[in-house]
Amino acid sequence: MQPEGKEKRIGVFICRCGGNISDYVRVEEVAEALRGEPGVVVSEVHTFTCSEAAQSEIMAHIREKGLEGVVIASCSPKLHQGTFRNMARQAGLNPYQYVQVNIREQCSWVHPHDPEGATAKAIRLVRAGVERARRARALTPVVVEVVPQAAVIGAGLAGLQAALALSELGITVHLLEKTEAPGGHLRNLPLVGEDLLSGLLEEVSRRSNIKLHLKTQVLSRAGGPGQYRLGIQKEGAEEELEVGAFIVAAGFAAYRPQEGEYGYGWPGVLTLGEYFRWLKEQDREPFFEGRPVERVAFIYCVGMRQSQGPHSYCARFCCPAALRAGRLGAEKGLRFQYHLFRDIRAYGVFEEDYRRLREAGAFFIRFAEKEPPQVEKAEEGLRVRVKDLLTGKKELEIPVDLVVLVTGGVPEPQGPLAESLKLPLSADGFLAEVHPKLKPVETLFPGIYLAGGASSPKTLEETVASALAASAKAASLFLAGKLELEPRVIEVLEEKCDRCGKCLEVCPFGALKLPEEGPVQVEEALCKGEGACVPVCPQKALQVKGYEHETMEAVIGRLAS
Amino acid sequence: MPERVPVVIIGGGIAGMETALTLAEMGYESLIVEREGSIGGKMILLSKVFPTLDCASCIATPKMAAVRNNPRIRILTVSEVRKISRNGSSFELEIEKKPTYVDPEKCTGCGECEKVCPVPRPDQFNAGLTVRRAVYIPFPQAVPKKALIEKRGLSPCSRFCPLGVRAHALVALLRQGRYQEALKVHLEAAPFPGALSRICEAPCEKRCTLRAQTGRPMSIRALKGFIFQEAVRNLSLEWPQAEGPRVALLGEGPLSLSCAYFLRKAGFQVFLFAEKGRLGGSLRAHPEIPEEFLEEDLRLILEGIELQESWEEAPEKLLEEGFAAVFLERAPGTKVDPRTFETTRKGVFAPPEVPASLLQEIHLGKEAAARLRAALEGKKVSAPYKLPKSGPLEGERRLLSEEEALREASRCLDCAGCCECRSCERACPAGAINFSQKAQKLRVEAGAVVLATGFRLFEPEENPLWGYRKYPNVITGMQLERLLAPTRPYNAVMRPSDGRIPGNIALVLCVGSRSLKEGTPRCSRICCMYSLKQAQLLLGAVPFAEVTIYYIDLRAFGKGYEEFLRQTQAMGVHLKKGRVARIEPAGKGDLWVYYEDMEGAGGVKRARHDLVVLATGALAEPALQRIVSAEIFDELGFVKEAFPEKAPGQTALPGVFVVGAAAGPRDIPDTVVHAQAVALQVVLHLRRSGFAA
Repeated sequence: MQPEGKEKRIGVFICRCGGNISDYVRVEEVAEALRGEPGVVVSEVHTFTCSEAAQSEIMAHIREKGLEGVVIASCSPKLHQGTFRNMARQAGLNPYQYVQVNIREQCSWVHPHDPEGATAKAIRLVRAGVERARRARALTPVVVEVVPQAAVIGAGLAGLQAALALSELGITVHLLEKTEAPGGHLRNLPLVGEDLLSGLLEEVSRRSNIKLHLKTQVLSRAGGPGQYRLGIQKEGAEEELEVGAFIVAAGFAAYRPQEGEYGYGWPGVLTLGEYFRWLKEQDREPFFEGRPVERVAFIYCVGMRQSQGPHSYCARFCCPAALRAGRLGAEKGLRFQYHLFRDIRAYGVFEEDYRRLREAGAFFIRFAEKEPPQVEKAEEGLRVRVKDLLTGKKELEIPVDLVVLVTGGVPEPQGPLAESLKLPLSADGFLAEVHPKLKPVETLFPGIYLAGGASSPKTLEETVASALAASAKAASLFLAGKLELEPRVIEVLEEKCDRCGKCLEVCPFGALKLPEEGPVQVEEALCKGEGACVPVCPQKALQVKGYEHETMEAVIGRLAS
Repeated sequence: MPERVPVVIIGGGIAGMETALTLAEMGYESLIVEREGSIGGKMILLSKVFPTLDCASCIATPKMAAVRNNPRIRILTVSEVRKISRNGSSFELEIEKKPTYVDPEKCTGCGECEKVCPVPRPDQFNAGLTVRRAVYIPFPQAVPKKALIEKRGLSPCSRFCPLGVRAHALVALLRQGRYQEALKVHLEAAPFPGALSRICEAPCEKRCTLRAQTGRPMSIRALKGFIFQEAVRNLSLEWPQAEGPRVALLGEGPLSLSCAYFLRKAGFQVFLFAEKGRLGGSLRAHPEIPEEFLEEDLRLILEGIELQESWEEAPEKLLEEGFAAVFLERAPGTKVDPRTFETTRKGVFAPPEVPASLLQEIHLGKEAAARLRAALEGKKVSAPYKLPKSGPLEGERRLLSEEEALREASRCLDCAGCCECRSCERACPAGAINFSQKAQKLRVEAGAVVLATGFRLFEPEENPLWGYRKYPNVITGMQLERLLAPTRPYNAVMRPSDGRIPGNIALVLCVGSRSLKEGTPRCSRICCMYSLKQAQLLLGAVPFAEVTIYYIDLRAFGKGYEEFLRQTQAMGVHLKKGRVARIEPAGKGDLWVYYEDMEGAGGVKRARHDLVVLATGALAEPALQRIVSAEIFDELGFVKEAFPEKAPGQTALPGVFVVGAAAGPRDIPDTVVHAQAVALQVVLHLRRSGFAA
């Protein structure tokens, strides 16, 4: 879009970001340098361009000066492109005539020792941004209808809660469960999970708009936001479900210790889940395989917080669960308890469990990751040897009847799901949310949400909260009934296309089609505008709207000039 | 009819904002009631936030703008919910919108008022590290960005002055060297500042808050004398056009002069019939009043009025000559109406009482002017006149040097906030300042109420062993947040005692947390992580600093937190397991931190640091307990969730929800998830109860 005739009227706004930018980039100088650019009718500095006050001033400029393009030089577009597009829309400017230039991550944060250079770089980047604004055309979002039914993957606590919430809002929910029964980890927490689970299942069975699919796995995702098609395999048969949105509530797997890890596999060495199941069967005088049990060692952080090994993270729920396990055990007569820990993460109210357990006489012994406790077989029962960091690394030998391995959660279901649903993973192997504070239950794809242990291990309460948060996000979509999608998608310069079909091979979204006759066509709802097809086209017949060949060449030219 | 809104959210921090935004996404309207001047809560004050190290402003600021710009969300700031009553399945709320003394429609947030306000107050948005003005915009990113005035009535010194002199304003302006403005403030309320500085009975000093606290009140008269001496010589008053009725006053004492002064200020044509050499009456040759003081006092008055030396005119003759009224300073034996000051002769006025002190004379003169004016303008005066009480002259009245005056003035506590000097009113280009604003009561009917009132921080001065406020280089975690924030007050991390960049910093965890003696027995959840984050930021801000964290357990339990802990360790932050017992001075502003050496040889050890930061515990915010029934609180005062494993945020009262740290401390990621979940619970409740807006 070569600017012709009349110069577009452009406003430039430079952000100090408090001091995040202006401590290193001389923002006044940048604003001054831009004042001479063709078309720039206003160039000024604000302390926080994203603040309400600055936004109203910018909006006033748009209206009063009739701006046809706005450039804001601030942070990464990942943070605030949406903010400023909304602002532009409110002021009557097409949001796609707004250009964000990142002079924080790209200037001040990377060149804190070179204010001179950072300033010069910022000026160039903003000039290129102005060039882009001069050429930006108005775009309108792609609007899609939202299919009025949802899928929830996983029928554990998170999935059941999400299904119930959406169902109450009148949305048909397909609840997909891999195993033969719903309930997830609640089934393995007989003391704490039983009533909760039976209540939830009863409620689910009463809802005619919840369709529970057992022994069902998700194989694939196709379609786009608002109109996803999930390929599923139900008891061997393949089916397709069309849904407007879906929630991944596949949970985490309990860590399974290796054979021999802390004596796992020997009689009397249990995981936390196994301990809970055993404890449920016990009366006031507990027995294990015919022997009375009084002395128990709990070993924390089994399989977790590994500085060498795949699970470097803390699984969060296990400290509270182990303290609860200790208290329930004490009630049943486990009189001598040894809790071998690295840090007791009894956050919030769990501190009270920790204190009561100490008051009840439980011993807490801190070990170092490098010197973990040793579990040995003794003549009678088991023996744990541990160096106690809190008593000058004195080695203790503790005879016990039972060893409980406090095992955390691992991202076992996540790998295959990430594959079949094409979802990104975080470094810890769990599914990645967009941002832990801005969008904690959302994925990069509108209409796909994360609940419960899918994104990280959680306690029951936290699981429910995240399930309902995901449901709230999905509900917004269903209640609105339609969804606006990014218009920066591929466009085909039809006269140039020679139907070679190379673009079809590289499109990861299946958004391009070659009809019987004529040029390649784009299915806009599927296209993400990521542009893999652009460089493979020998005819330069494809371009991303907003990143047209001519625009990008001019922008790069301005950057280099 | 009360206004109807589906949801009222009490508190506009991150929890309240996220709840409102999620409700709006689902199509539901809400009203946020915030007691501060801006939404944003504690989050907007933080530096960067763990574990992603985004700057808090960068996340909270656009959320605030999104709330403001969302057509489904309304915000009431500087407002508090006073009462919540159930009305069937809905609620009726009584909300008090407090006066800000600034018209928000007119205020543009330009900040001109802040530049002229002479009253400093601790800045609550900088954790008390700096001062702001009594008129202030909360912070640069405030939403709404409007000024407000901190004002709790009038300071007693101003309130108890019978003449209405804003004594607090005199002191506040003096502190800034604005002597002439101070003098003008006095002259606005009363003439004779010079003489009054010597022989006023000074009810202001008797009522001074400092007198109650320390036995030694502010020496307001001595300060007044100083101001007078400094500023009177070059001062000329601006009088309005004299277009009003012609009035004749007979008498040379302060009473007539005062009456003449106020009538002239009201635009009357004033003629004073008196012998020049006797002007001032009893004040002449008064042993306490320097001659030049009286001369200047008289000059200020006489510049505006006509002095007639033929003082033996009869009142009747003056009336015949066309004067609209005549005032007699002395009218012995004449009957005077105590309401109107009119004598039995029409058009002739006189004082109903005989004043016994200068204060009484000026007061009577001022009142006489008001009553004459009322009579001539045909208005009624309802209250009969009463002389203010007279008392003995005591206290400091000597002349002060500038240094002495400034030192004395700096003792003022600014106990009522705003001093009503009205500098802001003159400076405001938008005419937005409005001192007559009153509190407003609003009634709102709502389908659901969401409590999002957050938490308060443990105040470590409760326990002297922490040394907080005893030793200047012991600060709180919130204060360090401000020192590290992009909008930080000094643009550097400096220790308070001497502004030096600290080199060996201690971060002390569990101050008022996990304790049965003080603060909370629970864990506050946020302090481990924010201290690890602060340690990282300190290493960035002060690259050669040693940073030590004293902890009991490092609770890095969230997604990415353990990795953050490891990163902090790898950066060279020292982690020391041990509860800190006490903090003592080590000389040169440094401090000894006494701690239990849990992983070394044991016993109590001490380490020297030049800055100590206390990670204070998160406690329940008590304000809620006045408006919601006791059954929903736990034993620590946090709001209890009735079924956290089924219905997050739901309290024991149907339709009343709690979100975020009001239900117990939690970090920002947990709060955001909680808020989104609670918003859905609220929507389900509204649908079940059938509330229609």
